[in-house]
Amino acid sequence: MPVVTLYISRLQKLVGKANKSKIIDALPFLGLDIEEQTFKYIRVEYSPNRPDYATDVGIATGLQGLLGIKKGIAKLTIKKADKNYSIKTDPAVKKIRPYVLGLIAKGGKLDDEIIRQLIALQEDLHFGIGRKRKKASIGIHNLDAITLPLLYTVKPKDHKFVPLATDKEMTVLQILDTIDVGKDYSAILGNSSSVPMILDAQKNTVSFPPIINSALTTVTTSTTSLLVEVTGNDSGAVSDTLSVVASVLQGLGFTLYDMKTDKKSSVESLKTRNILLDSSLVNQTLGLNLSSAQICNMLQKCRLDAVARGKKISCTIPSYRFDIFGPMDIVEEVALGYGIANLSPTLPSSVSVGQKSKTTLKLDQLGQIMIGLGYTEALNSSLTSKQVLYDNTKRDSAKLIEVAESKSQEHTVLRDSILPGLLENLSKNIHEQYPQKLFETGIVFSGNSPITESISLACVSAHKDSGYTEIKSVLQSLLKTDSNIECRTKTSENSMFAKGKTADVLVGGKKVGIVGEINHEVIENFKIRVPVSGYELVLSDFVL
Amino acid sequence: MSQVLHPIEKTIIKLLQSEKNLTESQIIEKAKLSADQTRRGIEWLRLKNLAVVQESEQLFLTLGKNGLAANKEGLPERRLVNLVSGGPVPFDDLRKKLLDEMNVAIANAKKNDWITITKNNSASIVSLKTNPDQTSEEKILAQIGESKIAQDQIKDSATLESLKKRPDYIILESVKTKTLSLSEQAKSIDTDAADSGAIDVEADVPMIYAAKTHPLKDTINEIREIFVSLGFTEIAGNLAQPGFWNFDALFTPQDHPAREMQDTFYIKDKLAQNFATQAQINSVSASHKKGWKYPWNLDAARKMVLRTHTTCVTIKYLAENKPSEARVFSLGRVFRNEKVSYKHLVEFNQVEGIVVGKNVSLRDLMGIQTQFYKKLGLNKIKFWPTFFPYTEPSLQTMVYNEKLDKWIELFGMGIFRPEVTRPFGITRPVLAWGGGIERIAMLKYGLNDVREFYNNNLSWLRSTPKCQ
Repeated sequence: MPVVTLYISRLQKLVGKANKSKIIDALPFLGLDIEEQTFKYIRVEYSPNRPDYATDVGIATGLQGLLGIKKGIAKLTIKKADKNYSIKTDPAVKKIRPYVLGLIAKGGKLDDEIIRQLIALQEDLHFGIGRKRKKASIGIHNLDAITLPLLYTVKPKDHKFVPLATDKEMTVLQILDTIDVGKDYSAILGNSSSVPMILDAQKNTVSFPPIINSALTTVTTSTTSLLVEVTGNDSGAVSDTLSVVASVLQGLGFTLYDMKTDKKSSVESLKTRNILLDSSLVNQTLGLNLSSAQICNMLQKCRLDAVARGKKISCTIPSYRFDIFGPMDIVEEVALGYGIANLSPTLPSSVSVGQKSKTTLKLDQLGQIMIGLGYTEALNSSLTSKQVLYDNTKRDSAKLIEVAESKSQEHTVLRDSILPGLLENLSKNIHEQYPQKLFETGIVFSGNSPITESISLACVSAHKDSGYTEIKSVLQSLLKTDSNIECRTKTSENSMFAKGKTADVLVGGKKVGIVGEINHEVIENFKIRVPVSGYELVLSDFVL
Repeated sequence: MSQVLHPIEKTIIKLLQSEKNLTESQIIEKAKLSADQTRRGIEWLRLKNLAVVQESEQLFLTLGKNGLAANKEGLPERRLVNLVSGGPVPFDDLRKKLLDEMNVAIANAKKNDWITITKNNSASIVSLKTNPDQTSEEKILAQIGESKIAQDQIKDSATLESLKKRPDYIILESVKTKTLSLSEQAKSIDTDAADSGAIDVEADVPMIYAAKTHPLKDTINEIREIFVSLGFTEIAGNLAQPGFWNFDALFTPQDHPAREMQDTFYIKDKLAQNFATQAQINSVSASHKKGWKYPWNLDAARKMVLRTHTTCVTIKYLAENKPSEARVFSLGRVFRNEKVSYKHLVEFNQVEGIVVGKNVSLRDLMGIQTQFYKKLGLNKIKFWPTFFPYTEPSLQTMVYNEKLDKWIELFGMGIFRPEVTRPFGITRPVLAWGGGIERIAMLKYGLNDVREFYNNNLSWLRSTPKCQ
């Protein structure tokens, strides 16, 4: 989850008319988790579906509502585009990155903190709704360095310009091959020979979407007018992205101007929309009995607009709240406006009798018997390593089930047996007092249609006199005590077990497991210094 | 006196009642006990305040390598006078015999006034002045010889000090001696009196360990019991799930970051077959197209993943049973492709409960939570809004932890989104909540490192009490 740093004095100025403690106490009720709090600043975690909370302006807008300082939609005012405020789209770019929108923002003041927040907002939008710049990416530029109108076109890979944060001219190819952002995002452009490029009226390169801006248009603290361009493969994501940036820039005191594109002007994608809902949905879902007027008031506290006609409520939603899908999302807004702290818990009136699953009951019972037999319970991951599961135990790895791209070397293969994990446990405990007796019950995997999961029970006994007779006694006692099952043991061979000292476990003539003394090489592989015997039963095959 | 004495202790006390002070080695000899028995006996008596142990240190001497050689072949200066006893010898010839001991030999022989050195042309010649008797140093070397003797047996300490200055002549060894005497209390003990047959019931005994359930399993069982006591019935499902039930059925778009391999474990070369009905697939597909506006892809839904939450079990249960009233829960392992650390495991336990009913509300969900935490002994709780992709509204529980003196985030909860339930024909509200179990167990056992639960470290398993 992304995190934003809020400087308390700045935030207080933005919210207005509220003391510090009130502001801080209200933060969690916007859905912000406080990660760190000092005298000067607070770091809060916000959910990625609310990118407007990447900036203190966005959070302040929310706080004003909850604290009752300002209610209803913080209306976006977009002034009409001047004659030159337009982006023309070259048809050739439509195959590579078809959508573009733009906006002009004038008369604002930028400082280092605001620039830092705008960059953070941009990165969050790129990652979340932009799906790593594929669906949408943003460029924010110094308008004074640009001559309008703009052309959104394609350029071959030998096209040259000075990219942001450098001072030398580079070709597109060099940028894609040598600069980090180029390497990270070049895949979005596919293998087309030409790439998208935004040029100004004097043919200067403004931006190479979705990779990098030009150094020419670098925004600094002395910049007062901005050009915002959003390009992408998904027209919805492009609009949504622009709407978040627009609301934040207006919150920062900029005056916004429309920019025309071939398809639609930016104003159109920044329009509000309406959702209709019934007050009974709100009251039933929240367990409250609110009047329509109360509901409207609560929605206004969440910086939405709402009007009621009888039980019908029409809610107006600003364009940057694309996290709102339908009536149920509006219900949540009412809950926030009402105040989660004001909702008192109740209990549902229905009564029912609960019960554990049959598997749980059986495993509890078998576990109790194993404990009675002196075995301590171990718990291991079902995702383990080839080393433990196959190499150390000399088992056949032909049917191993692997996961892709695990970040942990010790967790790459799904276990098909529990015993190897128990041997690994013994290996980590060679300095502890013997005898050591462990058991585990759990899920094991086999690779049929496409994966079958069974439940097994395994145990190991490690001490200087451990042997076949002892472990068969334990096996016999478990099955007899649990459900009076008689088992037979039939000579068999298994690479994990010692030759001549291992047997298949048969119940009603069917093989359900294996028992024996562990092969001395396997014991050595695990660096264990005492004899070990053990068994493993596939419970799903006979008692579950 | 209630104290019971071990036979070893009795033997030593008896001995000391007749002889006031004895060293450890004297006791070994006189009591016919082994060294180990004696040592233990002394330690027991000391701990019981029945004996006073005085430790003294004594220095012993043996000859070092050079000392042994000098004792056999003479000190360097003695070898020098032996060489010149037959008449004067040139300096250089002597050096060839005495090698690097030449300088020491000349210096000492001159100091003792045994030789004179005269210069003849270019060569120096050494001649005998007096034929010396055995020196005091030679006497000490002879006295020590090959044996080990106490330093205080040598009376001529000045000479001993000068010998110690010669390299590797004398080796000093410090030996600590324990001298035992009885305390006042012990002097009057009648060792033949009537405690025979009694044993020392106050003494330490060997540690044995009870076999038991795993501490994490105890927490899992406790949580399961609470669910059952609140009227919930347990359901179960597979750990390996088609992407369909883990993601698509929960309205997670196919390009959502959570579905990427860097967060979720995909099982190599495994695709699910017949994992849902055609109607279920069609309606989930339609819900994605409408809500997320993208072409939904069946192949992505067939990829097998290790479930990232137990919610896949819940939604499958709802889709298959379409209950109008229900209280069920599922508990089991879930997986995340993360780097293992003190905070994160790739595989951990999660529990999730749902309530389906006609008039159930968010406040009811909060009420059930309150009951749940109360049964866990957590009484100070509050609710904060949060975001989960498949519930709306969504809340999280904050629980006050006395030990840490802070609020801790525990289970999340919410009402399933209509986009999740409608495709499966479920129209009644579904209240859901759940969370990780290890987090609760860490609080219970006061652990800072979640990996401890899966290390199966026997000393931890054996020493962790059942009640926390």
